[in-house]
Amino acid sequence: MATARVEQPARVEQPARSPGAERATPEALAQDGALAQDGARGWVMVGALFVCSTLVFGLIRSLGAFFVEFVQYFQESAQAISWITSIGVATQQLCSPLGTALCNAYDTQRVVMAGGFLASLGLILASQARSLPHLYLTMGLTSGLGWSLVFTPMVATVMAHFTRRRTLALGVGFTGVGVSSFVFAPLFQYILDNFGWRGSLLILGGLSLNIVPCGALIRPTRKKAPPPPKAGGKADNGGGASAFRSLLRRVYRYLELSLLAHGPFLTYTLAITFFNAGYFVPYVHLVAHSRQAGYSEYRAAFVMSATGAADIVGRVAAGWLTDLGRARLIHMLTGWTGLTGVFIVLMPLASVAGSYSLLLGFGLGYGFCAGALTSLVFAGVPEIVGMGRMVGALGLLSMLESVGGLLGPPLSGYLRDRTGSYITSLVVAGCCFLLGSLILTALPHYFSWTAPPPPRPPDGDGQEERQDAGAGLLGSPTSGSTNGTASKDSDHSQTCLA
Amino acid sequence: MLHPGVKLCAQLLLLSLSWGGTHSTGGPGSTLPPVVSGPPLSSDVRSVVFKGESQVEEVQVVRPLTLALECTWTGSQDRPHNISGFWRKDGSELADSRRPVLLENQQYNLRRAFSITDEEGLGNYSCVFDNQAEVDFILAAPRVGEVRDRPTVSYVGDSVVLQCKMEDTKPRPNSWTWYRANGTNKELLDPEPDSPRYHIHNHEGKTKLTVRNLTEADSGAYYCGAVYDIGVTLSRVDLRVITFLEPLKPFLVIVGEVLVLVSLILLYERTKAHGTHPDNPLSDDQAHKLTPDDAGGEVTDSSTRQRKV
Repeated sequence: MATARVEQPARVEQPARSPGAERATPEALAQDGALAQDGARGWVMVGALFVCSTLVFGLIRSLGAFFVEFVQYFQESAQAISWITSIGVATQQLCSPLGTALCNAYDTQRVVMAGGFLASLGLILASQARSLPHLYLTMGLTSGLGWSLVFTPMVATVMAHFTRRRTLALGVGFTGVGVSSFVFAPLFQYILDNFGWRGSLLILGGLSLNIVPCGALIRPTRKKAPPPPKAGGKADNGGGASAFRSLLRRVYRYLELSLLAHGPFLTYTLAITFFNAGYFVPYVHLVAHSRQAGYSEYRAAFVMSATGAADIVGRVAAGWLTDLGRARLIHMLTGWTGLTGVFIVLMPLASVAGSYSLLLGFGLGYGFCAGALTSLVFAGVPEIVGMGRMVGALGLLSMLESVGGLLGPPLSGYLRDRTGSYITSLVVAGCCFLLGSLILTALPHYFSWTAPPPPRPPDGDGQEERQDAGAGLLGSPTSGSTNGTASKDSDHSQTCLA
Repeated sequence: MLHPGVKLCAQLLLLSLSWGGTHSTGGPGSTLPPVVSGPPLSSDVRSVVFKGESQVEEVQVVRPLTLALECTWTGSQDRPHNISGFWRKDGSELADSRRPVLLENQQYNLRRAFSITDEEGLGNYSCVFDNQAEVDFILAAPRVGEVRDRPTVSYVGDSVVLQCKMEDTKPRPNSWTWYRANGTNKELLDPEPDSPRYHIHNHEGKTKLTVRNLTEADSGAYYCGAVYDIGVTLSRVDLRVITFLEPLKPFLVIVGEVLVLVSLILLYERTKAHGTHPDNPLSDDQAHKLTPDDAGGEVTDSSTRQRKV
């Protein structure tokens, strides 16, 4: 057995992202009779991701329907009430690394199921709230924590199941967000009218429980026991200290904190953070801007609805386009984000020029490109950090990019208050996208036509272990990167994408 | 329009009353209580010039006043020199209002002063020209515009806040009152200051009725009344009290569905796993091979990890 394992690294297929090489991999796996890549199982996971997107982000987006009810019942200010969703979203994003670390440490299936249970519990407990802090703790913290255990692990699972159609799979999975905001708006209003906010929260808690079957669909991994304590001197060095150190090492490993020193990852994250800063601004300000420019409420709302529909189409279309393999993912991402920035900047100019059809056109373009880039953002991660560290990378990326999402809308609100119109804030949001696109070009090997080899450590062994981290989502034991991770990282940046 | 003579008499009467009042209090040693006459009614004028057949004008009345309504009509195709015009209130013609109207400067003019002292004085006043053209003046006290059309839903044992807000563009009411519908009657809600169940809080243009310890009998229609000098305008707010069993039913249905799904999926996984001999170490190797794309078919396990330590 051991010898077989030593031989195997020689068979490793390296540049998976470049066209041509990928074709070998699914066949090789099919020969083994193991999990079929890009197969039926993968699409089942896409369906699960669709449902989870709906029940996490679709639900969050539609919580606005409760706003009026809460203001009236608790007699609190609008700002105090809007903290509820802010805490929920912030918790979901900030605890993403925790979610992915738990996936590295334990079974992804259990983590997602637990997350679904937590999210639902938060909503159910919220239905009993007698005070506003109660809502902060339940709807905000508890549900937010549950959502963080669900979303990023689900994304990682889908990405692990696909090779050639990864971006398309992600795109289709993410359409859940757009579709659900069309469905949930009237649905939430209906249950609010019939059951009040308490009953509605209870029912939403029940709906959120549907995340648990989605998690159950993930194939459970058969984990081996953690490596026995290292033989030799360290064992008798006072059990407590070394146990604590090894715990720290494990935490460091599970959270993939080594990525924080990884240049390309940080560059990518910085670019995504800028995208995040500009992303929500049009959704928040476009309607108000259109009204200010003199269009009726109906016309302004129509622009938003059209943008939402274009968003859904964009996700799927971009996913399909990327997987055709004609161009590198990172180039396409730059294209979509650059276009998004251009459209955002053009939108206020169209309404100033007084042309509704132009505004609508630019809105459609923005929606399409914004949806397109969401499919690609996560799919681009393995190219930069390798499949082995993908899971942790996703968690860290979600957490770090949330800074943009938290700062962007208030900044644009500030600009609006200072200048009295939305033009400046929309133009700045567009510039955030353009700036992020520029930062993407700073990634190593950007200007080559074919993808660079994915990050590989100098020795093949470390490579195996890190690959296993991604493999863990598919049903193998998790990897255990060794203490040598840190040193291997520096080799990483010098050899591969550097 | 009041006959000038009548008008003069009325004014003289008013003057004498007030003069008489001051006179009686002004004199030294006088012990007569002052005759307090009411404050003189404020007056206002509303004029409308129109061409077509009819027009509607809304007039907001907040306190008692003397309102002069004036209609000026530019006439139809043929302009006879002399037509008849009259006034209507709420559909029925006012007794002494019919009079001939002369054409002046290509226009017909009707003007009349109305004394609006209470709610009876409000309504729909119309000036009618020759049965051809009319202007409707709708005199009304301000009414709450944005009122919630759907019932507020709350639960047994919970508390609820019902509120009415008069828009900032409309005059603020002097105070608010609340009524509860009781059959066809409206029963005034007048809670004691320390009443455990009801609490009314008025602040600026808003009123809030808090009802605690709800029971299902509390369901029904509530009316908030905006109190002005001229009268009270009512707005309806509906309350519906339900027990927690109502949302519990759909909730349990969904939980049941989730449990069924989860059991099915886990059972399916278990039977599938049994089908591929989970105890056979070979299957573990197969699982190891389930690595993603770039890795190809690598295998590793803890012993490998140990080697690198």
